[in-house]
Amino acid sequence: MGLRDDVDRFREVGDQRRQDLEEFISYGDLGGSRPDQVKIPVKIVDLPEFSYDKRSMGGVGQGQGGTPQPGQPVGPPQPGDGDEDGDPGEEGADHEYYEMDPEEFAEELDEELGLDLEPKGKRVVEEVEGDFTDVTKVGPKGTLDFEELFKRGLKRKLAMDFDEEYIREALKIEGKGPRAVFEWARGQRIPVSFAWIEEAYNEIPADERTTWASFEEFEENVDQTHVGDRIRRDGLKEVPFRREDERYRHPEIIEKKERNVVVINIRDVSGSMREQKRELVERTLTPLDWYLTGKYDNAEFHYIAHDADAWEVDRQDFFGIRSGGGTRISSAYELAAEILEEYPFSEWNRYVFAAGDSENSSNDTKDRVVPLIQEIPANLHAYVETQPGGTAINATHAEEVERALGTAGNVAVTRVTRPDDVIEAIYEILSTEDGAESDSQ
Amino acid sequence: MKDERLDARRIAAGLDESVSEAANLARKLGLDPYPVNYWIVDHDEMNELIAYSGFQDRYPHWRWGMAYDRQQKKDQFGMGKAFEIVNNDNPSHAFLQESNTMADQKAVITHVEAHADFFANNSWFGLYSDRGSAGTDPDAAAMLERHGEAISRYMDDSDIERTEVERLIDAVLCIEDTIDQHRPLAAADIDDEDHDIDDITDKLDQLGLSEDVRQQVFDEEWLEDRAEADEAAGIDDPRLDVIAFLRDHGKRFDPEAGKAVDREEWETDVIERLREESYYFAAQKMTKVMNEGWAAYWESLMMGDERFAGTDEFITYADHQARVLGSPGLNPYKLGKELWDHLENTTNRKEVADKLLRVEGVTWRNFGDAVDFETVASLLAPDPTIGGIGTDRLDELTELAEEGDPRVDADAVERAIATRDGELDPEDPEAVDADRYPWKLLTYEGLAERHFSLAKRQNRGFLKGIDRSELEQLARYMFDDEKYASVEEAIADVDYTAGWDRMREVRESHNDVTFIDEFLTGEFVLHNNYFTYEYSHAGSEYRVASTAAEDVKRKLLLQFTNFGKPSIAVYDGNFANRGELLLGHRYNGVALDIGEAKDVLERVFDLWGRPVNLMTIRTEYDDHELEVARRRGREPEGTEVGVRLRYDGDQHAEFDLEPELKNAIEASEVDYDTKPDEWLA
Repeated sequence: MGLRDDVDRFREVGDQRRQDLEEFISYGDLGGSRPDQVKIPVKIVDLPEFSYDKRSMGGVGQGQGGTPQPGQPVGPPQPGDGDEDGDPGEEGADHEYYEMDPEEFAEELDEELGLDLEPKGKRVVEEVEGDFTDVTKVGPKGTLDFEELFKRGLKRKLAMDFDEEYIREALKIEGKGPRAVFEWARGQRIPVSFAWIEEAYNEIPADERTTWASFEEFEENVDQTHVGDRIRRDGLKEVPFRREDERYRHPEIIEKKERNVVVINIRDVSGSMREQKRELVERTLTPLDWYLTGKYDNAEFHYIAHDADAWEVDRQDFFGIRSGGGTRISSAYELAAEILEEYPFSEWNRYVFAAGDSENSSNDTKDRVVPLIQEIPANLHAYVETQPGGTAINATHAEEVERALGTAGNVAVTRVTRPDDVIEAIYEILSTEDGAESDSQ
Repeated sequence: MKDERLDARRIAAGLDESVSEAANLARKLGLDPYPVNYWIVDHDEMNELIAYSGFQDRYPHWRWGMAYDRQQKKDQFGMGKAFEIVNNDNPSHAFLQESNTMADQKAVITHVEAHADFFANNSWFGLYSDRGSAGTDPDAAAMLERHGEAISRYMDDSDIERTEVERLIDAVLCIEDTIDQHRPLAAADIDDEDHDIDDITDKLDQLGLSEDVRQQVFDEEWLEDRAEADEAAGIDDPRLDVIAFLRDHGKRFDPEAGKAVDREEWETDVIERLREESYYFAAQKMTKVMNEGWAAYWESLMMGDERFAGTDEFITYADHQARVLGSPGLNPYKLGKELWDHLENTTNRKEVADKLLRVEGVTWRNFGDAVDFETVASLLAPDPTIGGIGTDRLDELTELAEEGDPRVDADAVERAIATRDGELDPEDPEAVDADRYPWKLLTYEGLAERHFSLAKRQNRGFLKGIDRSELEQLARYMFDDEKYASVEEAIADVDYTAGWDRMREVRESHNDVTFIDEFLTGEFVLHNNYFTYEYSHAGSEYRVASTAAEDVKRKLLLQFTNFGKPSIAVYDGNFANRGELLLGHRYNGVALDIGEAKDVLERVFDLWGRPVNLMTIRTEYDDHELEVARRRGREPEGTEVGVRLRYDGDQHAEFDLEPELKNAIEASEVDYDTKPDEWLA
């Protein structure tokens, strides 16, 4: 018995707890997830039981501040229990999804793909205070380094201190006035000022001025005491504090750069992009969005749909739209460039992902798209070609981009024909930025 | 408490006082909890306890591992913070999170005391506890431990395959809720029909047949056949305790022999033990809303109204409550507490209205006009001496005590005065701190007045909102309707304990289904903004369906009746005369999850040894109808068709259900579908 055994047994008995990421991305139901929450179906290891069909059951809800009207949509039913405190007993709510936030998703994808994208910090958002290692000569009182001030004052005192008695005695040498004593003192490296000597000299009573006959006699009879002894004898009455000794400590200013990212998703919604292709696009672009959300502190997304023209759409609509028109991919890049004006490359990490079936109006790729890609600075430009039937004859956009920009270092071109290819495509795209060599399929 | 794996420590000294005073306060308030032992545990230990349903020694099984895994995950994401866990036993054991703040711990302790009262007094818990030989205690920890050991021994037994034991446990767990939870463990076992051979023999004796005839016609073989036939469940008498039926009549399929063989004894033993555990836990499952609401109610009263927390901890407490009651979706705590509040208010309101109707000049017709509700509100407010107790008011209380006022605990007042005047040392257990524990100075009656619900600010309008028909009904059988000369007189006679007394009665007798059924009124639904929702095929989404009280109630009842699961019973133990099992889904308008049901049938086969069948009713739509409905943006109409699912150990199959069988499982009374007609139009 024991928790350890039971947990081990659980791991043995269950299949892999959840669909692994590859399976999920290629075949799983992406619909249960949101931009900030990834829900991966769990292979249910749990035991079955007789239960109601969820849809047949319906439920009861409670309105927040007022009762809603019949007919109003409600979100999918929550597991009934708002249940935190013990009432021990068997829980009913089956978790059919393993939920992870984008950070975890990014980590897992990194692991699975063997990547390690380091998000770059760009825009300085805040200046954060680090350790108190910076020292300046001015500052607010509270940051005064008193210890330093005292030490310096003390040093100064010690340096400027002199044996007054000694000098006074020296002034009693016959024939030696203040000037002579001053010069002699200087020679002795005694830090006495001339003014002090003069004043001291004047204080000496006349009859004492001739106490000593000469310097030699003076030196024989009078000893200089060391400053340490003097202090020990007299005590330290005061330590001179000088303004120039004041030191103020500051925290080191560390610039915290926000790691932010803007992602432009571009999709060809022209007539040729049928269901299958749309699904492949969704399977490729959605995990990329999650990945980047997880890697960066702040992520913004823009979605551009285009046929012969481009327009911006909401995320909901992005994967579903289908128009009837022709295709001019450059229209999307023009719009993208416009949008990106709000996000200067110096402050934002930029990713521009485009997907379609490589069909484009003649010369548009060569004449307009390639130059546009070159003009729009970004961490990564990617084109995902979804051609379930294999390459079509006039669908050459991917090839052309690859030829022109394949070695640019920030351009990835990849092809997806089946769900199985999706994870490989994602890898190619992400690894291009990661520094690995971009392999075209 | 024996404990090998947990490093649970007894609570810190700081909490000792809170624990004993909470128990004291609970008793003063009229509660009667099991004694509780408190333990402090850390995060991991708490997760472990939750995984094991509050007990440490259970049988070995991966389900605990899975529960632990999930709980840990929830905890990691900050979703699963459990403040405490308490189990139903005498004495009860409660485990507190080490990381709780002081205010949290106090809140939790008061919450636990209320749970312990519920466990001890609710008669549905009593169904298990009063088992005769074990006295009136659940003796749960011991029982679960015994089971754990017994099953462990089977697993370690060299003659028994461990995987076989696990497989058997798996199978029983799938049907752990198919019991007769409204009857006690033992009684559920007794079959109504007598198929005892002796009884039949007795009956034959009474016929007075000659020996020859008896021996020729009613020979041993006939008798046995008869007995067996009687054993089989009848269509008219479906057996709700499916586990017991399988235990008694099930066999095991031997793949080598290619047929069903008798079970081993250990198998029957395991099945019975698990069955008992189901019965033990059934009460908890059946009273979740009531129990959680009960605990939330008393916690709120003790912590909030009675300031058990102490003023500085009050803020953190408000935060704690908000977290617990604020979660979205249907929250059993919230529903439960709201129902209890409602019950308290309506009972108190009836009491006050009754008194007011006996005032001269007040009738049920002029009630709204004749009564000045402002005046009544202030009259209902507690006596200042009762409402605001402190060391400075002790003398006033003494006066009341001397008058024999039933609201005052005279002995406590004496001791409080002695403490105040220094005659009693504050550390002395006899001492009473009137400022810290003002409630000690009152009796149950005093506390009831002090906390009378209709006097609270948030309930001010409640009295006025009384339904006219209720007033009329009260007045109808009133004899003494001119008893009081004034409103003041009438209010002076109000029995403040009416609400709490009734609440205690209800917490004893009801379960979630009867609780909701009786007390969820239209007023409640409106007041608390409840609504039902249904799945709309037309819109491929869930939509608000109804705000009518009856619908809300029915939908709620659906979630709580039979543990919120479809009711399955045994209809025949010898179906098609081939020893097949026939189970029936007792259909109430809500469909079964067929996929899950098929998976369960596979497990049931493990317990029966022979093919197993399940009858149910399914709504089928024809394509044309679906197309039309889709075009018109309305709900498709389907027909209810009876089906019989069958699993023979190898393959699943489906058959049409004979009309008489379909009738047998169809319940015609209650329709749980609350979709408005407009959706179908």
